[in-house]
Amino acid sequence: MFLFTLTRLVYLGVVLVVMSILVFLITQAMPGDVAHLIAGQFASKEVVEAISIKLGLDQPLIVQYGRWAAGILHGDLGRSLTLEQAIAPIVIEALIRSLVLAVSALFIVAVLGIGLGVLAAVRRGKLSDQMVSGISYIGIAVPDFFWAILLILVFGSYLQLLPTGGYAPISDGFLAWAKHLILPVITLVLMMLARVARLTRSSMIDVLQTNYVKYARAKGMPERVVIFRHALKNALLPTITVLAINFGWILGGVVVIETVFSYPGLGRLLLFAIQRHDLPLIQATILLVSTAYCLANLVADLLYAFVNPKIRHSMSNN
Amino acid sequence: MRAPSDSSPQTPVLDVRNLTISYTSARGTQRAVTDVSLAIMPGEVVGLVGESGSGKSTVAMAVLDLLGEDGVIETGDILFEGTDLRTLSATERRALLGHRIGAVFQDPFTSLNPAYTVGDQIAEPLIRHKGFSAAQAAPRVEELLAEVGIREPGRIARSYPHQLSGGMQQRALIATAISCEPRFLILDEPTTALDVTVEAKIIELLASLCDRHRLAALFVSHNLGIVNRLCSSICVLYGSQIVETGRTRDVLADPVHPYTKGLIAALPHITAERHQRLPSIPGTVGKAAAMPTACVFAQRCPFVEDACRNQAQALRKSAGGRDTRCWKSDALKEAPWPTEAGLATARKAPTQQTAPLIEVEGLCKTFDGGRSILPWRRRSGTVAVDHVSFTIERGEVLGLVGESGSGKSTIGRSILALIEPSAGKVTFDGADFVEGARQGDRDLRRRAQLVFQNSAASLNPRKTVGAAIARPLVLSGLTEPKARREKVAELLSRVGLPIHYAERYPHELSGGERQRVNIARALASEPEFIVCDEAVSALDVSVQANILNLLSELRDELGLAYLFITHDIAVISHIADRVLVIYGGTLCEEGPIERILRPPYHPYTEALLSAVPRLARAGDGPERPRILLEDTMVTTSGGCVFRGRCPRKRGAVCDEQAPPVQTAADGHRIACHIPLAELAAAAPVFPDLVA
Ligand code: SF4
Ligand code: SF4
Repeated sequence: MFLFTLTRLVYLGVVLVVMSILVFLITQAMPGDVAHLIAGQFASKEVVEAISIKLGLDQPLIVQYGRWAAGILHGDLGRSLTLEQAIAPIVIEALIRSLVLAVSALFIVAVLGIGLGVLAAVRRGKLSDQMVSGISYIGIAVPDFFWAILLILVFGSYLQLLPTGGYAPISDGFLAWAKHLILPVITLVLMMLARVARLTRSSMIDVLQTNYVKYARAKGMPERVVIFRHALKNALLPTITVLAINFGWILGGVVVIETVFSYPGLGRLLLFAIQRHDLPLIQATILLVSTAYCLANLVADLLYAFVNPKIRHSMSNN
Repeated sequence: MRAPSDSSPQTPVLDVRNLTISYTSARGTQRAVTDVSLAIMPGEVVGLVGESGSGKSTVAMAVLDLLGEDGVIETGDILFEGTDLRTLSATERRALLGHRIGAVFQDPFTSLNPAYTVGDQIAEPLIRHKGFSAAQAAPRVEELLAEVGIREPGRIARSYPHQLSGGMQQRALIATAISCEPRFLILDEPTTALDVTVEAKIIELLASLCDRHRLAALFVSHNLGIVNRLCSSICVLYGSQIVETGRTRDVLADPVHPYTKGLIAALPHITAERHQRLPSIPGTVGKAAAMPTACVFAQRCPFVEDACRNQAQALRKSAGGRDTRCWKSDALKEAPWPTEAGLATARKAPTQQTAPLIEVEGLCKTFDGGRSILPWRRRSGTVAVDHVSFTIERGEVLGLVGESGSGKSTIGRSILALIEPSAGKVTFDGADFVEGARQGDRDLRRRAQLVFQNSAASLNPRKTVGAAIARPLVLSGLTEPKARREKVAELLSRVGLPIHYAERYPHELSGGERQRVNIARALASEPEFIVCDEAVSALDVSVQANILNLLSELRDELGLAYLFITHDIAVISHIADRVLVIYGGTLCEEGPIERILRPPYHPYTEALLSAVPRLARAGDGPERPRILLEDTMVTTSGGCVFRGRCPRKRGAVCDEQAPPVQTAADGHRIACHIPLAELAAAAPVFPDLVA
């Protein structure tokens, strides 16, 4: 398990380096020149050049990348051009807000989705299974933003129970903070729940038909033990993968939710940075989003190996 | 729940009375077991024998209450130590399992949960039924593992199932089954998934356990040879009914029901005359009717009369004190199963004047290890085949025998260039086959075909049989529809299927029929050579005999050469001219089949031959004590590959040096450090074969 983790970490390092290069190059290729942007539309050529030299923009790309990467390693993400502040605290604050959103949604999806999936699989063909399956179909067929709009209309505008957007720092009180989270989290949950439940149901049905489940019964294990100890651990493998992929996808695609609910997370920050052509901010945000995605995959891999000893061994044997 | 704790000798441990079971599915109700009664006394092992679909496993599952939701017991009682199990609640019945009734299933690998260690899984019943704590269970688990013959119980207990060999896994299951010291075991085909040499060890273990603990058992199997070793009495099932029951020795030596007669006759004898048609049972197992109105065997019985078709047969006492479901059994007492006209005379001898059809030289195949940029992830590849050379003449059948993992299938696929050999040369009729195949030589591909084990997986379920057979015809340029249809019809009748089968889909056929379709498809391109990779292994005995006969016929009439890959020595002895015995990817022994069956033996061949379960049939001769091999993993690199299990190992030379190939008469070659003369002194496994 140790070697396995080590291997994964080395891979992660390699991927992050490659990704940082890509992010750097792509932002370089974006239209617009930083020096120009800073100097303003009517600046003279000399001023622009002076700014270029000051920012090191006249150096070859590789040197620029080196300086940028070295800065990141020291925790210095540069300064935002538009906000004129150090980037690190801004993105970290946004990251934490997005993580709160993503992690709580993921947690609810995991518990609820797996629970419903198991219930449907065990009671296959019965009413509760048909209900779970039916609702899942609706959940998958309906587009994501529809939920957001529906929720805003019902709870925000019509019932006026919850704020339809925005954010309250926790210093304003837990209730205010939580109230602002509820609708975005529910929307995210609705977006993922159906898929997780359906996946758990189908892998659970497969596993319930295996010989080892039959043998667990033949050993006299009560049905509860058969389902939760023998079947579920094996049925979770595909679900873990989907959850991990969804996690990355929330972080990337959270833009939609954050925009609809005007939630000041990483997604909104990225949108803002792109609109303002704030290159250092764009770079930092994208890098952070991709790192989070990779970390989610790493966690999924480790969980996977933890659940499945075969993978654990084949990955760490000599 | 109360049950007599010490059952008197008169009370059977298990008493099944008039059990009838049906399965309901979307396609209707299917009868699985009809009016089955059997009683097992304490300490008695009873065999329940039948082919697939006979209902034998259903009986076992009914006792375990594991029929599933679709299975319904219509009538009958199941008494366990005097208690009617059907009056108990599901929870009470479940509590008996693993505690008073132990079970071992067919496939040990899939019966063990991949997510937990073997030790954890053996401990479960102890913790559940005996109230052990996990800490108390651990030493008991090691004791149990030691009892089932595992030498490092501590290490094995901490292993996961995928780290163990098949034999070890099955031992672990047996340890689980006996953990709470039950009096009764259900053994559902416990050795079917194992290699012959491992099977011999497991049977030995089960026999000694039953003996030592006075265990009673219901032993479900399709293998008469194993039943013969383990069971004192036997019930033969056919089409959901018991057709004959009696003492094992009597039933096997002198079967009274026509089906039993046929089943025993169709089993390939090792000592039988070679190149003869095997007696076979015509037709396929029909579906059992809900209300039988005729003898279940009437459609396939050579002794059938009108009276058989008018009335369901009841179980009656026949002469000799056996119960049988055939009103004619007494009259048929002396009648043997009809033998079929032999085709052996028409056999063209393999032609040896010209160069061999196939020459394989120094064939090697290494499967890639982990390729990785990270140094600690890199592994050396696994050697599947190591420098194997042989030839096949035109019209010759070369048998290739080995256990799972011996590399036999890899050899078959490498010489057809379906997988690329790592080294070595395959020459087909003078041309380099691998090179030719790589360059897309259609003609070479056409001349060499493959028929493999899984007859269902090799046919596209959405295509009709006719379309499947026509495909190679189209590829070879026969595009005119009428001519193609005629050719398909010709091929179907060639393999003994009715012409209208062209319109059918694979799922409408039985396993034997599908294998016939596969053969027809292979024949479509008019090949000279066919690799038969375990082509009859998945089939029931009665069907297997039919397919073996068909393959022999085709060989004789079309002059086909086969590479016949199998783990079954008896099958090989029926069809092969020459045999290669391989172990761990290397050649142990090669020679004409008559030579292989007699000393001198390679130590592995000797163990393999002695492990084959046999029936005490007339003409089988006395049985030699079996040579039991350790079930350790194959050791490769340097020295003899068999050294880890070799009972005659010579010491250091076997560890250090690859054994020399010694040549005896008739091109009989043996790779071993023991001198030929000493090997020749071994006692013959089949004494009656020694001329
Ligand atoms: S009853 Fe007739 S058909 Fe049935 S086994 Fe006996 S002889 Fe054959
Ligand atoms: S070479 Fe040695 S180990 Fe190998 S079969 Fe012969 S005696 Fe046994």
